[in-house]
Amino acid sequence: MNTRDLVLVALFTAITVVLGLIPPITLGFIPVPITAQSMGVMLAGCIIGAKRGALAYVLFVLLVAAGLPVLSGGRGGLAIIQGPTGGFILGWIVATYVTGLIAERLVKDGQNDIGQFAAFFIASVVGGIVVLYAIGMPWVSMTTGAPLTDVATGSLAFIPGDLLKAGIAALAARAVLVGYPLLPHRT
Amino acid sequence: MLNGLNVEGSTPLHRMSVRTKLAILLVLGVALYFVSSLFVLVPAFLLAAGIYFTTGLPARDGLRRLKPVLFTIVILLIATAYLASIREATEAFFRLMALVLFAGAVTATTATGDFIDEITRLLLPLDRLGLVRAADVGLAFGLVLRFVPDIFNHYQAIRDAHRARGLKVRPLTILAPLIILTLKDADTIAMAIDARGFRRPRSDRNN
Repeated sequence: MNTRDLVLVALFTAITVVLGLIPPITLGFIPVPITAQSMGVMLAGCIIGAKRGALAYVLFVLLVAAGLPVLSGGRGGLAIIQGPTGGFILGWIVATYVTGLIAERLVKDGQNDIGQFAAFFIASVVGGIVVLYAIGMPWVSMTTGAPLTDVATGSLAFIPGDLLKAGIAALAARAVLVGYPLLPHRT
Repeated sequence: MLNGLNVEGSTPLHRMSVRTKLAILLVLGVALYFVSSLFVLVPAFLLAAGIYFTTGLPARDGLRRLKPVLFTIVILLIATAYLASIREATEAFFRLMALVLFAGAVTATTATGDFIDEITRLLLPLDRLGLVRAADVGLAFGLVLRFVPDIFNHYQAIRDAHRARGLKVRPLTILAPLIILTLKDADTIAMAIDARGFRRPRSDRNN
């Protein structure tokens, strides 16, 4: 990893921290306000790729563990990681890596707009939703004793909001790729 | 903008090494899941609460910090009590609260810098194998703290530009300019770091 990669990792972590400072946005048809920070996993994977994206989240989780209030709403500290939703926080690292891996493979030069959007959207959905819940939900189930199937049913409520986030992240990733391309290519 | 959640003090937990605290937390985090007896879990909870509220953290701050985690735990455990059994939910409550309170106590008694130093030291064996550069952790950490206020200023500037043009501030129109504006400085920052020789080339160390 050269110095530029290290700087990109640190800058993306800093962006994720700032996304947690932005007031949450409510969208007409979804009752839960959307925090910009929750899109960070998808954005990191789609914009700086698998390796650097995952490292940006390793650094972010380290900031949380070190007791800095970097999570949206000024939360932080080891208590959050020990709590029932800690699996989602640790899962961010793997989720970002998978998002990046898929984006690096699917996004190619000379793709049309829709193809590129679809590639980013698939990467965000698989990495940022499927992988993240696959790690987060068993953790909830294990810590609370609630059956996994019921945790999964309860989580369905968050899926519409997550799909919307994947859509926004895919559009933003496309805009960044056009303006300042950083995503490594893989064949 | 980013103040650590630790409080100054000289309690036994403050004086304990970071490594010991993290090791205890790790062992406790695994061990308590093998225990389902309330005769162990309730005393563990009381002990952790005792430690948490004697770290020098004002009681009000202490409670305020716990609120979001407590909220999630209570909601999830009401569901558990309903779906599984009240006994299981009770056990999970005392177990989770014991862990959360002890983890909170570790956070309250560990300065951010000490924590990062300890992580760097723990990475040294991997550094010797050439897998990571332990010193990069501290450098990356410093870069984040240095650039968060700058990036927040970028955000405010983009938001104001939206308002001046009568546009609604939306995530979609904020994210791309914010990210491009921030990441395009990477080359300059990297050059500045290399020019000052903050990262020694690997070959130096092998000699």
